[in-house]
Amino acid sequence: MTKSTAGKPKIVPMTGAGACAQAMRQINPDVVAAFPITPSTQVVEDFSTFVANGQVDTEFVTVESEHSAMSACIGASAAGGRVMTATSSAGMAYMWELLYVAASMRQPVLMTLVNRALTGPINIHCDHSDSMGARDSGWIQLYSENNQEAYDNLVMAARIAEHPDVRLPLMVCQDGFITSHSIQTMQLEDDKAVRAFVGPHKPLNSVLDTKHPVTWGALDLQDYYIEHKRSQEQGMRNALRVIEEVSADFAKTFGRSYGLFEAYRLDDAEIVLVALSSACGEIKEVVDEMRTKGEKVGLLKIRSFRPFPYAQIGKALSKAKIVTVLDRSASFGAHGPLFVEISATVGSYTANRPLLLGHTFGLGGRELTLRHIEHIISESRICLDKGTVGDRQGLWINVRGDKL
Amino acid sequence: MSDLKNWQELPLGGVIVEAGSAAKYETGSWRTWKPVTHRENCIHCLRCWEYCPEDAIVLEDGRDAAGAPRKFVQGVNYYHCKGCGLCVHECPVNKEGKVVALGFVRDEV
Repeated sequence: MTKSTAGKPKIVPMTGAGACAQAMRQINPDVVAAFPITPSTQVVEDFSTFVANGQVDTEFVTVESEHSAMSACIGASAAGGRVMTATSSAGMAYMWELLYVAASMRQPVLMTLVNRALTGPINIHCDHSDSMGARDSGWIQLYSENNQEAYDNLVMAARIAEHPDVRLPLMVCQDGFITSHSIQTMQLEDDKAVRAFVGPHKPLNSVLDTKHPVTWGALDLQDYYIEHKRSQEQGMRNALRVIEEVSADFAKTFGRSYGLFEAYRLDDAEIVLVALSSACGEIKEVVDEMRTKGEKVGLLKIRSFRPFPYAQIGKALSKAKIVTVLDRSASFGAHGPLFVEISATVGSYTANRPLLLGHTFGLGGRELTLRHIEHIISESRICLDKGTVGDRQGLWINVRGDKL
Repeated sequence: MSDLKNWQELPLGGVIVEAGSAAKYETGSWRTWKPVTHRENCIHCLRCWEYCPEDAIVLEDGRDAAGAPRKFVQGVNYYHCKGCGLCVHECPVNKEGKVVALGFVRDEV
């Protein structure tokens, strides 16, 4: 009567944070060191339940701060363990110097980052100012549109980060509250299948290998520092290939395919919107709606922001006539970080020269509605017809006091 | 220093995979002043050896007046000596002020 369900995936309703905790349970890391902060708390909360229930073998380190959390992660990773953590906003800001240490020591620490605005004024809702500020720290950054993608990215994370040609820490980003606290129906893969996909962790120069004593974190001066940084840069460049390889294997194993970015209805698109994470779900809906009215519009959804796939995106934008970039973080006194990367792409990696339009939206969780997106597309069309973006360049969306 | 490695040859993450390799690192190039031993005035108290942070005072085996084995100061290892001058400062012969056992002179660049 009873039939074994082993090996079969389950369709479950789950929050984005809960989904990441499930991925962590299935990966069963050696060490998790974390300090709870909204809106990533549920990741750590759920995972601590798994530890208490004996569902994982993980050594769970309840540290007194995020600075200590990342320090413990680096130490545990240097000791040869597979290490994971989760944080948000000020929590990651407090990890700042250690983010660079993890990357430069080539420790493949895995993080769930639930994107949240940085203070101040104090705010707990979504924007990307936390991860965008850390974009130069040397961490691989994968962005997730929904709960399923956050889960899938985390399942793929270990194999990307720990690949011998990469060996870099990796953060899987998802939007605070919008996906972290929203229940969506998603597919949870079988525990054994995930564990088999992830595979065992291979320590490299472990400090616990007493037969081969090593020194980590030694002073590095003018004669070698830049060579080590060059090697680190190579890890990032190699990551572009490895992300695609692991994603291809993931697609073969679990049936969902991901690239470095998603090209949504781009083939003949004259207007291309570029965005990250949850906003892409809404944009797709508006793209579909406007396509029925004959507007040639598409979406380029960035999955891998670090490393940034310039050449590949340049190819994808080769037919675009106007590229409208939506940044969910501000670089005060400059264009948004996503706009800057797309500008570099268009400047150096495409033969055509589409118009470029940059907008900032959604800071501190401010909503971006379907009507806003529709308006952005209509205005992009007007700019395209005029042949210039004029004074629309750099406009903030849905801000009282500014004309949209 | 032609034996410096290219980035492709380095272990990942700046890890040092060989125990005791600090001895290979030339800290002597940091020096602007250098200590010089005057053996005729040295009382071989080994205080310079005790204070040297780089273990750059070189000792040799010998025998004292009674014939018992003991260590004597032979000189300075300039590959490691950073020129901090601690040895010169701590030398009891220098402190007495009559003669100099450890001089401190400007190093040639």
